[in-house]
Order: sequence, then C-alpha cells, then structure tokens
Amino acid sequence: MAPPSPPSVPHSQATMDVDEIDEGSQQQLGSQLNAFKAAGKRRVVIDEAHPFELETYISSYSGRTYVDRLLHIMSTCPTLAPQALQLAVEEALKGRDTELYLEIFHRYQRAHAEARDEIPELSALAEPDQRWIEETNARNQAERTKLEVELKTYSSNMIKESIRMAHRDLGDFYRSLGEYTNALKHYTKSREFCTTSQHVLDMCMSVIELLMEQRNYSHIATYVFKAEAALDSASMVRGQSGPEAPAGAAQANKEKKNAERLRAQTKLDVATGLSHLGQSNYEKAAQTFLKAGPVKGLEDWTGKLIAPGDIAIYATLSALATFPRSTIRAQILDSDDFSMYIEQEPYIRELLESYMNNRFKNVLEILERYSTRHYLDIHLYQHVQNLTNLIRSKSLVLYFQPFSSIKLERMGQAFGWSVQELEQQVVALIQAGEIKARVDRQNKILKAKETDQRAALFAKAMKSGQDIQAANRKLLLRMRLQQADLVVKPPKGQSQGYSYGTGHASEFLSGDY
Amino acid sequence: MSAAGTSQLGGPASLDDVLNQITTTNSPSSLNHYLRSFAPKESRDTILASILASGQDPLSVLDPQRNTLGYLYILSARLHSTSSPTPTLSVIEDFCSQFDPEQARLAPDRVTLLAKGIVRASESSNNAKYALPSLYSLVTRYPPDLSYLTTLHAIFLKTCVATCHFTAALPVLAVPITSVDTSLSDLHYNDNLVYHYSGGIALGALKRWREAEEFFEICVSAPAQVPAAIQLEAYKKLALVQLIQNGETVPLPKYTHPALVRLFKASAYGAFVKMYPTQVETLRNFVAKEQDTFIQERTLGLINQAIERAPIWLIKKLTATYLTLGLTDIGREVGISSVEDVRSIILDMIDSGEINATISADDTVTFADVVPHFSKEDLDRVLVQAQEHNRVLHKVERAINTSREYLSKALKNKDDGGWGMEEDMFPPGMGGGTTWADD
Repeated sequence: MAPPSPPSVPHSQATMDVDEIDEGSQQQLGSQLNAFKAAGKRRVVIDEAHPFELETYISSYSGRTYVDRLLHIMSTCPTLAPQALQLAVEEALKGRDTELYLEIFHRYQRAHAEARDEIPELSALAEPDQRWIEETNARNQAERTKLEVELKTYSSNMIKESIRMAHRDLGDFYRSLGEYTNALKHYTKSREFCTTSQHVLDMCMSVIELLMEQRNYSHIATYVFKAEAALDSASMVRGQSGPEAPAGAAQANKEKKNAERLRAQTKLDVATGLSHLGQSNYEKAAQTFLKAGPVKGLEDWTGKLIAPGDIAIYATLSALATFPRSTIRAQILDSDDFSMYIEQEPYIRELLESYMNNRFKNVLEILERYSTRHYLDIHLYQHVQNLTNLIRSKSLVLYFQPFSSIKLERMGQAFGWSVQELEQQVVALIQAGEIKARVDRQNKILKAKETDQRAALFAKAMKSGQDIQAANRKLLLRMRLQQADLVVKPPKGQSQGYSYGTGHASEFLSGDY
Repeated sequence: MSAAGTSQLGGPASLDDVLNQITTTNSPSSLNHYLRSFAPKESRDTILASILASGQDPLSVLDPQRNTLGYLYILSARLHSTSSPTPTLSVIEDFCSQFDPEQARLAPDRVTLLAKGIVRASESSNNAKYALPSLYSLVTRYPPDLSYLTTLHAIFLKTCVATCHFTAALPVLAVPITSVDTSLSDLHYNDNLVYHYSGGIALGALKRWREAEEFFEICVSAPAQVPAAIQLEAYKKLALVQLIQNGETVPLPKYTHPALVRLFKASAYGAFVKMYPTQVETLRNFVAKEQDTFIQERTLGLINQAIERAPIWLIKKLTATYLTLGLTDIGREVGISSVEDVRSIILDMIDSGEINATISADDTVTFADVVPHFSKEDLDRVLVQAQEHNRVLHKVERAINTSREYLSKALKNKDDGGWGMEEDMFPPGMGGGTTWADD
C-alpha cells in the first residue's frame, strides 16, 4: 500500500496545527505540549513552572518503597538523579537487599547516559560499598539457612502453628530481599497451616503488601476478595463467642473488634483502589478510594507503602475524570474522612474548587503545574496523560452545557488555548458524541444542536414501526421454517463438507452485477 | 384404487390404459394414487413419456384444465425423457397458464419435476429465457397465494438471475414469504436459501438496496445447525449492500449462526467493512490488494459501488460535526483534491435529499438538519399496516394456542402456572409476547 499523500491524511491537519502553535508565542500551550512529549520519553523536567521538592516528597515514605520511588524518579527525571542517588543509597544500606543496592547504581548510570551534560558521572558521587555487599550477603545466607532449618524441624514435628510461622518468617525474609516469587510461595504455603480466620487475614494482607510493592495490580483483587471473606468469618466467629464472656467485656471486645475490622477494611479499600487505578479503571478506583476510612486506618502502611497524600491525588484525579459534579461534591468535598487525606496535598483542594467553580483554565494550570509530581509518582505516572485528557474533555463538556452557541475564541480564553487547538478538541468530542453541538468553521462558533423533538419523535416512531414489522415478518418466516424443519443440516456425506451450496452460488452469479 | 389393481393384473399397463384412467376417473385423488402406482417405479416414467398406440400425442388428446393431473404427469415425464421428443414451447406455456391448481397440488413432486424439466429444456435449446413465462405462470398460479414458499420460487428466481431478467422477478419478490407448507411443495432448506439469496441478487442488481438487504438477511439468518456456504456468500453481499445503503453495517439478528459472523470477520470483507467509510484512496489500495478474492467471488461490482459511495458517508459525518465548512476543507477530510468534484458530490447529495445544505458564493457550505415531514396520510397508512400486522400475529397466536404441541405441553405444565392462561390474563394481542417467550 502506497502511503497516502500528506494533504489527504486527516491527522496531518492536526500535526500542522500543533507545529504552528509550538513555534508561536503560545507559551502556555507550548509548555503543555513539551510536557506531553516528555511523557512520551518518560522524562520530566523541573523548572519554575513545575516545582518539585524531592526531599519533602520522599520524606513521607520509608523502607522499600522509599528506594523504589527514588529509582523511578531517577529514570524519569535524570536531573534529580544525583540527589536521589544519595538518598537511595543511604536508605538501602539500612536494609539487606544487595540487588536493590546495586540497582540504584545501574539506574544512575542509565540516567547519566540519557543526560550526560547535566549530571556528574557516577564515580564522582559514590561507589558501591563492596564490603557491605559481601557482609550482607553472608548474613542473608546464614539467616536463610537458619529459617529453613527451623521450617524443616517444625515440619517433621508436625506442629501446625509453628510451621505457619516458619513459612511466614521465610516469606518476610524473602520479601526483604526482593525475591518476590519465593516470598509469594511461602506466604501461600502458610495458608495450608492457618487455623483461624485471623491467620488467613494476616496472610492475605502480607500478600497484598507484596503485590503492591511489586505493582502487580491485576492480582491484588483476588487477595482482597480472600481477605474480605476471612474478615467476615472472623467477625462472625467473634459474634458467636460473644455471649459466653461477661456482658461488659463482650461489649468492649466487640467495639475493639469493630475498629480492627474498620482498619483492615480501609487497607483493603486502598489496595483495591490501587488495583483499579493500575488497570485504568478510573471510575472504580475513585469509588473505592473514597470508600476508605480515616487516615489512621492505614496504620503501618502509611509511608511504608503509600502516603495519605497519594490517596488524595489518586482519588481526586480519578473522580474528576469520571464522576459527575454532584457526586464529586457529595463524596469528596462533603466527606470528613476524605478531607483528612486532602489536607496532605493542599493543591488538591484548590484543584477541586476550581473545577467546581468552573475555573477550568485554573484546573488545567494546576494539572500542568503538578504534572511533574504526578509523573514522578510510581503508581500514577502511566495514567497522568489519560487522566488529564479525560478531565480536559469533561471540562469542555461542562463548560459548554449552558450555552446554545459560543464563539470558539471566548471558549479558548476560558481554557487558555488557541482557537485551532480548541477546535480540534471540540471536534473530537462531538465525534465521540460527548457534546451535542456543531462547529461553524467559517465563523468559529460552536452551536448547540437544536432538535425538533416533535419531528424526531415522529421519525423515531415511524422507523421503529417499520423495523418491528420487518422483524416480525422475518421471525414469522423463521418460525414457519423451523416448524417445517427446513433447517440447514450438516450434509450426510462428509465429502460435501462446507462447500454445500457454493455450486449454486457461483453458478448463477453470471450477471454483470 | 381398484382401478390400479386391475390394470396391474392385466399385464404391464400401456399409455392407452393410463389415458383411459385419466379421462374416466372422476376423483383426482384416486387418479393420483393410480398414477403413482400403476407400474413399477423404473418403467413408470418411460410409459408416461411414450406415445399412444395409435401414434397420437397423448397431450393433444387431454385438456390441460380438466385433466390437469394426468397432463402434469405426462408432461413432466416427457420433459425428463431422453428418448421421446420434447414437447413444444407452446404446449408447455398453455399448460402453465391453464392448469387447475387444486389438482396439481396433489402431486407437488411432479410440479417440481415439471419446473426443473422446463429449465432443462430451455437450457438445452440455448435459450434459457424461454422458460421464464412458463415458470412465472407456475409460480404465481400454483400456490394458494404468493406468501407461500414453494420449490418453484427458488427455480424461478434462479432462472431469472441466471438470464439477467431481474425485473421479471419483481412481482414475485414483492410479496414477502410468510408461510411454509411442506405438504404444498416438497421443500428442502436449500430452496429457502436459494430463493432469498437470488432474490437479493436480483434486487441488488436493480439497485433496490433496502429490499435486497432484507432478502440477504433472511438467507443469512435462516435457521441452521451448521452454516451453509451460500449463507456466508449472502452475508458478504449483505454487508456490502448495507455499506452502499447506510454507510455502515447493521448487526445481524441474534439468532444468526455465530460461526457465520466469525467466518465473515476473518474474511477480506470483514476488514473492508471495518475500515469503511474512509478515504477513497485507502479503500482502493485495500481492494487492489485483495482483488483476486473479490474477482473470484464476483463481488467487485458491489465493492466498487460501495467505494463510490464512501465520500457521501464521510460528508454526512461532517454534517453532524460542523455547521459550515469550506469546500476545500471538505475535500481535505474526504480525500478529494478537486474542489469541483466535491461541489458536484455535495450538489448531488442535496438533490437526492441526503443532506440539507447550501453552498454560498465563497465556496462555504452551510449544513442544516434534514427535517422529516409526515403527512396525515403517511400516518394513517402506517397505522393501518400496524393493525393489519397485529391481526396476523393474533391469528398466529390463536393457531399456536390450538396446536397439538402447545396444548400437550400446556397440559403437562399446567400446575407450573404461566401456561395456557394468556388468553384470559391479557387483553387480546398482548398475550403474543408471553407465548413466544415461553415457547
């Protein structure tokens, strides 16, 4: 197939427009486009328009995710790499994962290869501490042998509870080494030796934590489901054992358990939300994040896996992209629990309020300003582009709703776009059926579609009448055919096979048809 | 019946005996029985195809109208016999226009045989179209009314299409098939498929797309345990007809055999439908690549017509998005570089009422909505149709309610509820839906 000549390709129009604008002085748009291009290359810039404080950001995290996040930042934003390197090395030395430690240096080298002129060479900053590596490896080996021997002893003694704990310890051990498959193996093995639902719940929680660290979004839902089942049966058992204890103690006990349940539920909601987000299921992600209980329900997850601010960002962006305004008001702005999350990231409130007050230009500016923050997030970076596009489309639809016609220029001002850029967006939305309007290209006006309801109703009634009559007729014939058993049957001789009837088909296709 | 016995006892029957029976038996059904059994199966047709002892042609003795049954047996035997002379065209035509349908319906297999014989005879005389008037008389006169499917339908339509006499088929095609009676005609499922397939082809060749669509659809969605090849062919043509007619394909009814949809999607046609409508050049490139398939399956004509219509659908899409557009803009979207070409396409579309638009002096096209107009007469007509339809459905429902299968089933399940109660529980005409759902 010969490639069609450029003027005939519909998209060429789009690219041409973009280029023109890029060259022009539309700074706002230019920077936006730069950001998009950067996203394509997975490289994020930090400048006055896109502030980002690495230390403040990373200080909300600890442990493994601290290093994982820094690694992600190193590969997406090379200019931050030197700083990230120092922090990551410091943290990694506290752990026992030597692979992870070495990975930090590899990542830095890769970042350096991408931006040779901007950051110093690795050797100028740090060298891997070989002695630490050897010592740690030796220590790990000893620990592993010890744990495995323990497991073996318990297994031969058939002590169920001890076996479970040995498996759990091994799982924890492998997890701290970053050997996820081994860790998962031991965690799931421990399931066989669980005696109470609380044990099952603990096991599920460990696996979920593991999967979240691993960013294996599609599997999270399975274990959340198992954990919820375990949670249900755990509270049921307690309900039954309640009456035996003295009344007052039972009451206190129940309350305690309820709180416990709530906490577990919060964690599970967050995990599910993350799993939906990871699978681009934004609406469900927003719903589950918003269901999560108060911040303290996260317990040890805070910082170790996720920061409350992250939840605020994920939930808000997903909600803006998919929820109608009334739901946003009811579930986010009026929710006490969720305002605790939003407090962690003040710009999120500003974003929400701009959106609710139709200051769409502001919304887009905030999204742009914090795009660096979003791109550097380990869970969010793949969805920033999608979410931004969705929010932009929804804003356009919302903005146009009250108008019957509006000049594209005025609309462009409200969004901070040029007329061409806006027209492109609007046309895409009209074709997708999101906006019921048409563009007056000569006069640059967007006009809402006016339908003559009466005529439309008549036309619809006439059409469905005809359709139904035709369908009835065909069904009647079909019924008669079936009654007469005139059903196409497989030919008796296999030799005829599927070619039955083709003889007829080509036979009388002789016309100049 | 006794007549059949005697002639067999008295040695092999001759045509003279047969003729005697034909002229003397008053009851057509006993005559039919005699004609079916007067001689061993192998020799029966040979005897029927022979001539009288006096050397006379038996057909000249018989009257087509009065002795329809006998005439039919002899004529059909003669047409298939190689030894005896083929009856002349005028004899066939006379019979077809004069026979008594009541008598002929006693021997549906002979009628089919006759029709096949007529086609064969006309083919061997290298003038297939000679068969058409006779077949037309047969197909219109034989069934009680045209809504009955017969083997003759398939034979007639096939001949029409083979000889490119599409208009001749129109009176028959105008009446949709709604009744099937296997005692009226020895039908095979293929007759239904062939009739609707060739009907679709005939209507398509006459550019009556909407009707062609329906015929192809009936063929494609015909009840099937396994899909027939002709159904797949029909599906291909159906899709192309829909592209020409609507610019997009309409999903097939749910009861279509799923394998057909799968097979279609995997074919070159599936790919064509997927990319349609797009710029003419892209379509042409694709077709050039798959040309062999399309030529071999003889669909290139339809494909080309679909491609010619592609700009129209693209422009129609634009009317949904834009109020005004320059001709050059339209040309760019559609992939036509010449402004004049675009102008003429748009003018054609305005003339045919497909879009409502004006072109101003500076080459700006202003689109407006197409406003549908309905007169009171239109509405009345539609309402009458709907009532008529309702009556038909009601009749069908009552027929079902009295049918043996339904009653026995209803009796068996009468305790489960929801059976046999529709008539009382719902106003007339409403019960139809529930009956269907249960059945």
